[in-house]
Amino acid sequence: MIRFFASKLLRAFATILFVVTFAFLVLRVSGDPALLIMGAEAPPDAIAAFRAAWGLDEPLWRQYLSYFAAIANGDLGYSMRDRRPALGLVLDRLPDTLRLMLPALAVKILIGVPAGIYAALHRDTWIDRTTMAFSVLGYSVPNFVLGLMLVLLFAVNLRWLPSGGAETWLHTILPIVVLGTAGAGILARFTRSTMLEILGQPYIRTATAKGVPWFRVVSWHALPNAAIPTVTVIGFMIGSLIAGAVVTESVFSWPGIGRQLVVAVANRDVAVVQVILLFVAGSMVVSNLAVDFLYGWLDPRVRTTRGKEG
Amino acid sequence: MGSPLEITAAPARDGLLLRTRRWMAGCPILVGAGIAWLLAMLAIALSVDLIAPYPYAQIDLRARLAPPAFLGGDLRHVLGTDELGRDVMSRLFYSIRMSLLVALLGTAIGAVIGTLLGFVAAHFRGWVDDAVMVMVDFQASMPFMIIALSVLAFFGNSLPLFIALMGLFGWERYARLVRGMTLSAGEHGYAVAVRQLGASPWRVYGRHILPNIASALIVNVTLNFPEHIILETGLSFLGLGVQPPLTSLGNMVGHGREYLQSAWWIAVFPGVAIVLTTLSMSLVGDWLRDRLDPTLR
Repeated sequence: MIRFFASKLLRAFATILFVVTFAFLVLRVSGDPALLIMGAEAPPDAIAAFRAAWGLDEPLWRQYLSYFAAIANGDLGYSMRDRRPALGLVLDRLPDTLRLMLPALAVKILIGVPAGIYAALHRDTWIDRTTMAFSVLGYSVPNFVLGLMLVLLFAVNLRWLPSGGAETWLHTILPIVVLGTAGAGILARFTRSTMLEILGQPYIRTATAKGVPWFRVVSWHALPNAAIPTVTVIGFMIGSLIAGAVVTESVFSWPGIGRQLVVAVANRDVAVVQVILLFVAGSMVVSNLAVDFLYGWLDPRVRTTRGKEG
Repeated sequence: MGSPLEITAAPARDGLLLRTRRWMAGCPILVGAGIAWLLAMLAIALSVDLIAPYPYAQIDLRARLAPPAFLGGDLRHVLGTDELGRDVMSRLFYSIRMSLLVALLGTAIGAVIGTLLGFVAAHFRGWVDDAVMVMVDFQASMPFMIIALSVLAFFGNSLPLFIALMGLFGWERYARLVRGMTLSAGEHGYAVAVRQLGASPWRVYGRHILPNIASALIVNVTLNFPEHIILETGLSFLGLGVQPPLTSLGNMVGHGREYLQSAWWIAVFPGVAIVLTTLSMSLVGDWLRDRLDPTLR
């Protein structure tokens, strides 16, 4: 058991290490930030001063080590544009992103999971087909197209809702609908196929054959087993909340981390990009860990077999 | 005297058309429509220089924001014009070519890299396998949008870099798939037999294992391709993908967004083209999956 959790923790740590190294390497290989920020015409002594200020004149391995030390101290550098700490800039935007993403996540789960279960239990009925049609649309329609079509309909033509911004709760409706419907479709499809697979298992047939009521077969034998892969997908969705916000926040001019990332990339404000990269990696790793631990709780086989190996 | 092998191969094969028709039998109308749409897109992409009414960057300031012909606009600009008087239909056609090109190249690069790494991992096992799988895990655990944006932030943007970046999207799925299937195929008699006969690894993987796992790979390609379209158009929509003066479907939508109120056609036509293309590919992919690989259903 401990070994199982320890190996998961180690893996999480390795992923973070990988991301940090990736960020560092990409950052240093990509060209001289001094020239990028100051422009090629800047006076040479100004560029040299910039390099010294950001530690760009030291050898690469020294930079790598001090980079790690800085991250460990929570010092993630300053926005190269407005000189404020990059971490603070990103944290300022976090509440706005969560204000959008958490309701969207709730929509995804509350619509997607029941719809998937229902569709699996009523296979080949019109409800099943409709659910699947919506899920194919959820896969195929990019968020920015769906978002703009909704803006065109509800903001430009009907004038019911604002097209962008974050002043009132009315502003949250369209983004949440865009994020929620696409995710719900994906989740519904996944839940459905998982349920169908479980319902075809011999133990379901056994339970049915020995006279267990169908409701109990579903709730007691099928759902817990279907929960395991579904939880994985939900975990991935939680981990990628910020990433999922990138396009949608831009469509609706929402002042969250996703929009910030796009602006930072366009300005090549590397420090801010890096903080967001670490943020996303952190949230992915934490949600993956949570899923792994949930597995251990949901599925006793995971702990025991690993325990025997160890 | 022919060998027994040749005798079994002797029955005349039906014509290509007949075989295609038989294979397609029972194909739902929607899937048929999807295939037709994709073929139309491909035809536009290949012949755009011949069929586009205007060069995609040609400005006509006297015909700015002209509505499409069916809304009382001029027949010279069937789908209207944008704020610089550029013909929307011509831009749409060139954008289709660019988006298809980037997505096809990206999908192909990803498939080749992933397949090769999958074979490498399965062939060498040990630490090579571990190293490949660590990279696979890393990529699978990070949303690719974030990786792409970081790379673009750090390296800036150019079309070759952008295409290479798109090629990095999705390789991990091929690697995982190929590795798994190669490991299990290695246990099968045919792979062991060919290896015993002294075939080189290239021959074993290329001529014997690859054809056996090809259908799963094709299914993966069809599922991966729409995601490439969505990623490319999304990045271009944000202004971080294909850069002007080149144009992609995403650029057009992102650009037309400013004129949603006065000239919706600039954004809507490319938006519809994106959706129909991804939708068609998804439908065809799902159908192919059921057709080629019933176990994946």
